[in-house]
Amino acid sequence: MKHKVKSLFAMILVCAVALCVGMAAAQSYPTKTVRLIIPFPPGGSNDIVGRFIATKLTERLGKQVVVDNRGGAGGVIGTEAAAKSEPDGYTLLIISSAYAINTSLYKLSYDPVKAFAPIAKLGTGPNVLAVYPGVPVNSVKELIALAKEKPGQLNFASAGVGSFQHLGSELFKSLTGADIGIVQFKGGGPAMIDVIGGHTQAALGSLIQFMPHIKSGKVKALGTGGAKRSVSLPDVPTIAEAGVAGYEANNWWGVLAPAGTPRPIIDRLYKEISAILSSPETQKLFGDQGAEVDKMTPAEFGPYIVVETAKWGKVIKEANIKAE
Amino acid sequence: MELFNNLIFGFSVALSLQNLFYCFIGVLVGTLIGVLPGIGPMATIAMLLPLTFNVPPVAAMIMLAGIYYGAMYGGSTTSILVNLPGETASVVTCIDGYQMARQGRAGAALAIAAIGSFFAGTVCTLLIAFFAPPLAEFALKFSSAEYFSLMLMGLVAAAVLAHGNMVKSLAMVVVGLLLGIVGADVNSGIKRFAFGFYELADGIGVVTIAVGVFAVGEILSNLSDPEERQVFTSKVMNLFPTREDLKRSFGPIVRGTGVGAFFGVLPGTTPAIASFSSYMIEKKLGKDPSRFGQGAIEGVAGPESANNADAQCKFIPMLTLGIPASGTMALMLGALMIYGIAPGPQVMTDKPDLFWGLIASMWIGNVMLLVLNLPLIGMWVRLLKLPYRLLFPAIMAFSAIGIYSVNSSSFDIYLMAIFGVLGIVWRMLDCSPVPMMLGFVLGPMVEENLRRALQVSRGDPSVFVTRPISLAFVVATVLILIVMAAPAVRKLWGAAGASSREGVTE
Repeated sequence: MKHKVKSLFAMILVCAVALCVGMAAAQSYPTKTVRLIIPFPPGGSNDIVGRFIATKLTERLGKQVVVDNRGGAGGVIGTEAAAKSEPDGYTLLIISSAYAINTSLYKLSYDPVKAFAPIAKLGTGPNVLAVYPGVPVNSVKELIALAKEKPGQLNFASAGVGSFQHLGSELFKSLTGADIGIVQFKGGGPAMIDVIGGHTQAALGSLIQFMPHIKSGKVKALGTGGAKRSVSLPDVPTIAEAGVAGYEANNWWGVLAPAGTPRPIIDRLYKEISAILSSPETQKLFGDQGAEVDKMTPAEFGPYIVVETAKWGKVIKEANIKAE
Repeated sequence: MELFNNLIFGFSVALSLQNLFYCFIGVLVGTLIGVLPGIGPMATIAMLLPLTFNVPPVAAMIMLAGIYYGAMYGGSTTSILVNLPGETASVVTCIDGYQMARQGRAGAALAIAAIGSFFAGTVCTLLIAFFAPPLAEFALKFSSAEYFSLMLMGLVAAAVLAHGNMVKSLAMVVVGLLLGIVGADVNSGIKRFAFGFYELADGIGVVTIAVGVFAVGEILSNLSDPEERQVFTSKVMNLFPTREDLKRSFGPIVRGTGVGAFFGVLPGTTPAIASFSSYMIEKKLGKDPSRFGQGAIEGVAGPESANNADAQCKFIPMLTLGIPASGTMALMLGALMIYGIAPGPQVMTDKPDLFWGLIASMWIGNVMLLVLNLPLIGMWVRLLKLPYRLLFPAIMAFSAIGIYSVNSSSFDIYLMAIFGVLGIVWRMLDCSPVPMMLGFVLGPMVEENLRRALQVSRGDPSVFVTRPISLAFVVATVLILIVMAAPAVRKLWGAAGASSREGVTE
């Protein structure tokens, strides 16, 4: 009995000390430069979002947050590097929907659920069903009808195997049964150019990328892929509204830390990121790009990643997509 | 007349003190990153982008554009001096530029590179001002079928490069094609020849290969031959090109500008293709093709004009249609959107200060680059007088830092070292790495576009001859084959005739 009391006391003591150390760590954090790994080369949407967050975090934390671009293999290389880092709050990782997609495409050296602790979801960018103006359709239903009338003659331009554009196209095909080919390009830019030139008829591309061309009439937007209509295109229905029930394809961005990062540090980072996301400047930056701020707490973000992983895993399995 | 008024308006915008300042910063940063191998304008612009949020959009765009075309100037410097290509587009410049430096003519090579770039920059500024919208519409007519036929023509014409030992040259082209296969297949996503390395999933970087084969290979071979080391330290002749040099360079500069402008307008090509094409054309047109590779000034003048023209004409689709012709342009488009400007044809009318100011600033930036680069030639050339025991380690460190900075990956440095060893092996076997680089650059594009064109046509190969632009390239390819084969055929006929006559006399 005495023994038990002693060990209980010891346990409380240990917990108390751990808590104190943790709190102290959060109070003094950060004491040195924080590294934000962006698992893509400079230039893409991950990079723009990541660099913006890094700049703003630097202002708020009072220590430099340095961007470290570790591109390659659809984000796997940079994510691996982050998974191997010390969980001390001095290594953070920007992720996008590719993180959820890669789980089903690659043999990963990290466990996508256990290797990281979620900090915050930052924003969402829906995809858009855009068609060349010369294609005689004005709605999603008409496009599906045209594809049924002329099977195997229409093509979607996609940004590469396993890209969010590719899976969005596969999801569309599996929900509608439309016989539309998927033509792969090296990146969303070249894919979009081919649609604007009228060589491929349509694309389920990133709204961010297509926005200016929708506005100038170089492509027609038939529907957006979000759960709600896009704020930037209020007159365009969602693809689900337009007749493809259950269709939802969004790109999104978030911040993770290696698993085991002290809770108080995660809370501190969430607090700062949350404040950044609430500022009008951030909302404008996201809005101008055709995206939206979409804040999630660490507790919400974790389950969201699991749901997204399961959803794309199913599409990948059904379409039999392999990257290795 | 209105165009002249627009240009004058553009100059009034670009010549404001603030815009001149940002233009200068841009071209200066561009020159510096151009000199450093690996780190390119795209990464630099991405890093500097957040800093420009508080700058007026016109000034910010002027600076970012300056970085981009400034890098094309800087890229040639190390190619010529120490065989170290600073940019992908400068790989070709190594071939003859470095040989000129070894003959003590580094100054002339650097000067002609700057002059050629300036000429190309001036012509392309005028092109953008006068013909941007129709050129951009023309570019949109290019799809996979057209790109395939165009690249095929390039690959066939590459046989022109194969002087000397034909078998060795073809073997090196094949090596290049094989190296180009490494990485994820665009259609299926399956990794080819990646041997389980994630680092190879996106293929091998052009600059990694080029720095390894040219720069590291050169150092290794110099070290193995004590005699050759002396060449570095002795005789540096005139700093500026002679009248003869200028005369020889005039044609290549004009043609290089034309070639660069053509490829520049097309969104689906890389700057390396423009400079390689220009080199091939000059070699074909040169009175004495054997001079190429031995320090022919035409081999510097043409490609350097071409890569600068290409860089500048990449602005045409971006400014007039809002279409990014390259990753860097996509970034600049993103920047425009962040500044609250929707890219597209309306930019010209809605934001004339931005459109015409940017165009005028490009010409001003080119003048600045000329002024910046010409006086530096003396300093650069003096660098060659450094003893090799200082120069070689410096080049190695410089290369390693540059290559590492691209992906923060030490794997790339090992790759560079491997290609350095391969470079010296090829040198010993007397195999030129130039056809290899060409195969590496063109091969993946030929494959990708062929498969994509057939995918779109559902396997019907007639797309290549039913689309008019593609047909034109196919016809040109056939003509090139005939022209190239003609002398050989004639020789064969001649030989046959001679032997038959011999038969008669016997």
